[in-house]
Order: sequence, then C-alpha cells, then structure tokens
Amino acid sequence: MESQKQLPKFAVLQLSGCSGCEVSLMNSVEWINNFELVYMPLVVTANKIPDDVEVLLVSGGVRTDEDIHNLRKGASRSKKVIAVGTCALSGGVAQIREEHQARETYLLSSHRLRLPGMLPRAFPLDRFVHIDLYLPGCPPTPELFMTALKDADQAKIPSIVCQECGRQKLQDMRPTTITGMRSGVTLPDICLINQGYVCVGTSTRGGCGALCTRPGHACVGCRGPANPYLNKEPKFVLDNLRRVFTRMTDIPEEEINEALESPWLSLFLDQFTDYTQDEALQLRTKEKMI
Amino acid sequence: MTTITYPLSRIEGHARVVIDIHDDEVFRADFQAMEMRGFSYYVQGVPAEQITVIVPRICGVCSTAHQVASVKALEDVFGVTPPPLAEDIREVLLLGQLIQNQATSLFIFTMPDRVNASSIFEVSESQKDKERQFSLAQSALRIRKIGTDLISLAGGQFIHPIKTVIGGVTSGIPRQKADEMIKTIEELLPITAELVDTYWQMSLEMGDRIGSWGDDEPTYYLASTEANNFRLNSNRLRLMCPEGRECQNFSPHEFGSYLQIEDSDYSYAGISSFQGEIMRANSLARINLASSMGTPKADAYLQRFVETFGRPAHAIMFFDLCRGIELVYALEKARQMLECDLEHGETEVGYTPRDGVGYGLVEAPRGPLLHHYEVENGLIKNADFIIPTVHNMLAIRRALMVVAKRYVSVDGINSELGRAVGRVVRAFDPCIACATK
Repeated sequence: MESQKQLPKFAVLQLSGCSGCEVSLMNSVEWINNFELVYMPLVVTANKIPDDVEVLLVSGGVRTDEDIHNLRKGASRSKKVIAVGTCALSGGVAQIREEHQARETYLLSSHRLRLPGMLPRAFPLDRFVHIDLYLPGCPPTPELFMTALKDADQAKIPSIVCQECGRQKLQDMRPTTITGMRSGVTLPDICLINQGYVCVGTSTRGGCGALCTRPGHACVGCRGPANPYLNKEPKFVLDNLRRVFTRMTDIPEEEINEALESPWLSLFLDQFTDYTQDEALQLRTKEKMI
Repeated sequence: MTTITYPLSRIEGHARVVIDIHDDEVFRADFQAMEMRGFSYYVQGVPAEQITVIVPRICGVCSTAHQVASVKALEDVFGVTPPPLAEDIREVLLLGQLIQNQATSLFIFTMPDRVNASSIFEVSESQKDKERQFSLAQSALRIRKIGTDLISLAGGQFIHPIKTVIGGVTSGIPRQKADEMIKTIEELLPITAELVDTYWQMSLEMGDRIGSWGDDEPTYYLASTEANNFRLNSNRLRLMCPEGRECQNFSPHEFGSYLQIEDSDYSYAGISSFQGEIMRANSLARINLASSMGTPKADAYLQRFVETFGRPAHAIMFFDLCRGIELVYALEKARQMLECDLEHGETEVGYTPRDGVGYGLVEAPRGPLLHHYEVENGLIKNADFIIPTVHNMLAIRRALMVVAKRYVSVDGINSELGRAVGRVVRAFDPCIACATK
C-alpha cells in the first residue's frame, strides 16, 4: 500500500452474480501489497475501468445486454482476464432450471423501466471474450484467489476434494440408503459416503481445503469436475460417481441415479457442460484452470 | 424536465438513483434496483431438502442469514426442534455475520464519505495522512475478519456456510479454536472501540459541515430483536410506532396481516409497508427498540446514543452510528458465548420430511429476514423471501426526496447532490441482490 502508485493496476468487474466472490477476495487482502486496485464498485467509487489494467477479475454470468457491453469493454482494456466463480464459468445459478417465468417478469418490467434487457439465458464469459485463467468455486476461497493472482503457473492444486478432507473411507460400513442427513448424527473422521450422504468430493476438483466435508456437510461439487472430466459431457463425471457409490455402498441404483441428477448437484457438476455443446467456446485446458 | 442519474458504488449490488426535476422543482427521486435474481422461480420444483444449499446463493454478502432462515423454515415444515446447543452455535454464526457486515458498512462503504475519499484503499498525498489511513484500513480489515472467522468457525465457511442443517448443526466449536477466537476478540475490542469513536466524531463533523443529518421525520420501525434480548436467531417480529411505543408484536406466519408487500413501477425490488405507512428496518430500528444490549461496552454506547439523540431517534445518519454500537455488542457477545462449552453435547436431531408450510425468521444485519416455503410431494411448490432491504424502500425514497429538495433550487443543482445521494443510500445499507431475490 505504501508505494501503491507504481504497482500494476488491478480491476474487479461484477456481472450478474451474488457478490460472494468479491467478499471472498476481500479476505485475501494480501493483494493490497501487490496491486493498485483501480476499479471495484463494491468498495471503490470509480465510474469506469481505466485503459491499462494488468489483471481484470470478472465474476458473475452474462445475463443482460449491459453485461456483454461491460465485459467486452473491460476485457479490451486489460492484459489478462481471469474468470472467477461458478457464474462466470457457467452462467451460474440462473441455469438451475428453465427460467421463462423469471424472464417474462423481467422483460415486462424492463420495458416499463428502460433497464438492461435480459438475454435468453445466462452465458459463461468465454462465450464473448478470451479468458486467460479460470478460477472455479462458489466462491473460490481467499487462498485460491491469492494463488490465481500471484503464482498461477506454479500452483499445485489437489486433484480431488478427498485429498484434503481427512475423513477415512471404511470398507465395512455400507449404507443402504442416501438419507444420512436425516439421521441426526454425523460421525467425525469417517467418510460421509459411508454415512449415507450424497458427497461428490471423489470427482470434484480440489483446492478448497475440503471446507464443507471436514465439518460434516457433503461436497456439492462447487469447484466443478476434476481434470479428467474437463471438456467432457456430464455423463462421464456422473458415471464415475455411480462407480464410487456402487463400490462403497449397497444403495439401490435408482436411488443413486435420482440423487445424482438433482438440482443442487447439476448447478455445479454441469458447470463445464457448455464446452461439449457450444462450438463457439474455447476449450478449457487444465493448464488454464486453478 | 431534467433527469439526473447517479450510478452507485460502495453498496451491495447494481443500483442507481434517478431524479426528475422540472422548473427547479423535484418531482421524483427514485432508488432503482437494476438487476433481477429470480430465485423464487428457480427453486420451484426443487427437492425441499436441497433448498438450503441453493438459496444462500441469493447473496454472497447475506448468505449466512439466508442459510439459517432457510433451515428454520424447513424445520417448521417438518416439525423439528433443534437442540439448544445448535441454537447457540447459530447465534454465534449470526453474530459473525453482524460483525462482518457492520464493519464493512462502517469502514469500507461509509467512512470514505466522511473524509471525501473514493475508498479506504485510496492513498492520500501527505505522508502523515497516509500513515493514518494505512493503519485505519488495516484495523478495519482485521475487525471485519473476526466476523468472517466466526462465520467459518460456526458455519464451516464464511460465504454460503454449510454447518447449519435441518435438525441442528453438523458439529460443535472445539475449545482450542474458541480460545484462539476469544484472544483475537480481546485484542481487537479496544481497537474497535477506538475506531467506532473516530467514526462517531467524523460523522458529527460531517453533519456540522453539511448542516443536516438527513431525513428525520418520525416513522415506524421493524425488527425481530427484543427490548432486553438482542438475540438474532429470532422468533417474533416487532413494530415500533413513530412516537416510540412498541405497538405490534407478531409471529412470522402472521406477517401478511401486518406487512403489505408489492411490486414497484420504478425498480426490480419490491416495496413493503405497515398498512401503507413508511417503515424502517436495520440498525436504527433495532437500537430504537432496545432498552439494553446486555454487554457492558455496548450498553455504554447505547446510553450515550440515547442521552445525546433521544429515543426514538430518526435522522438517517443515526443508522451509521447504530452500526457502531452493534459492532461492539456483537464482539462482546461472541466472546461471552465462546466462553461457554460449544463443543460437547447434542448438536443435531433426526427428522422425517413431510409436506406443509413453514416460516424461518432471523434478524439479518439489514433487518428481519423471513423465508416462507410450501412443500408438496417433497418438492418446493412455492418459496417467498421477505427481504429486509424491501422494508426500507419507501424510507429510502423519502430520504432521497428530502436530499434532492435540499440541493435543487432556483440557483440550479448543487454539485453536492451526487455525494449526498450516495450518503443517503449507504445509511440504509441496502442489498440489491437480496431485494430482487
């Protein structure tokens, strides 16, 4: 902060999202010593992104025509663009189901108010601009933000969540139903799958520090599928999860299938799906992922 | 007709103020939410037990309040009573959120207005100011971090927390972690008090400089904290009449008989009222309703506030000062609670899902937050989110009208107006993501 004037310029652009990524970034304040923050409406009054930005972080999905405009303008003024969070990578929570009703309401009022027009769906950023680095997570932890900003090239990211979880997988504890969360007891130190939870940590990209599973909540997959499933249809990661549950539990197949196809998992497990369906999108190579 | 548009920064979400002027007279002063989230639609048809993971994503700033309100609403549907230990851990969680939010609003959002800076990260030209600013920013961020650390401790992670589950919480707070937290709180309490005093002084100076403390017409106040119990994990809503009497006291399921909620024609956010009358929620509502905070330092601040400004106090700048009282309270209360054993004992009970209707209430930093679900065949049929910011919409509009009239005259539009609308909106600390759920 002392010699901020000479530091590289750093900007944060928020499109349609929840601000959670920005709140997380505010906890990794070490960037204060490495960058000059020139644009971040949540904490700084500045009306536009200046011309010579070194690093632009973009959170949120592209959901309105104004989002497209701001994203293109911001990216054209920045040397490096980092896409941050589930919404920036996939469009986000707005994709959870058909949103005709929401859009109808929105269009009705935007006509009345002359406010930004809503797009047919929420898009990921790389539908519109080149992205140099992807930082998945909902939101990414402050530590992951620092990794993305400081030493993305040397980053060693654990391949799956289990690597950091510390809970032990037992061979002789085989649940027969996925209703562990209703039991009123969560045993410490034992794998949540053994306890009848739909935990998808076995196939989810690591690096989060297993923040959810360690205190006893099943991984919902917010960091997205692990490297082997990048740029692949969701079927591949779901098949892998099916194999895990068949190997570790005696839960009937239909129950497993129903659980794996649920909205809370599709929000995150499908976050790379577009890449298998939309040819306009660049492939996300593992070198570009944090 | 002249229309002036002011984009807003240092608030949560995308919003702007639009003022219409004709012949030196202010016609309208509107606070417009510019985005729509649409969660009421997304969650229709979602398996009920999954909604507690989805709805925190309404807002990354307020995710803690949404998660707890969501779990409480489903507990109401399923007829589950969580064990007392879980209720206490949820309270610690909500205290953490209050600390995080009030520190952010005080020091990151509104303090720059008091020194005419664009942000607390802005570097001043003179060396003396630079050092002072640097230390202010460092302290502010450290205090804020106590809040996020508390949320992590009680909630698993500080954005979209996960430890609160239907039936209780997944695990307790280990003694060693609690002790570390107590140590940090004890270290930072005097620094917080010092910073709150500085802020208080800066605010008084700003009021003198401007010559006004903003809209001070008496109004209704809505909160779910009590006169002698500031518990945020709350159960009932309370309404104070303009003259200062607690005049209504109702349970969450009765809210429709007391609060009217409608769409607005100038914003994506809704508007609520008490039988058509303007209400205010957030810090000033809670402090006006509080006879005592129940912790020593915060009670001293409360006494100072009431002796200086009376009760109920109405000027909008008091919202900011009240956040200071609450910040001190939340730190003291969190320390008190962490001294108890939050590690051993029953943290959760089992449950059997069933269909029905349920309500989940918490006092969020911005006021009472209520989730209301209808569950049919195990799926969410309808979900309604009654958002604290929405309770302030009419009050924000009136305060903007007051300030616009102040700075628009036959001599033209005073350039102070742009800064003034920012100060007015920030006093209410609105959350646009939530308000357009």
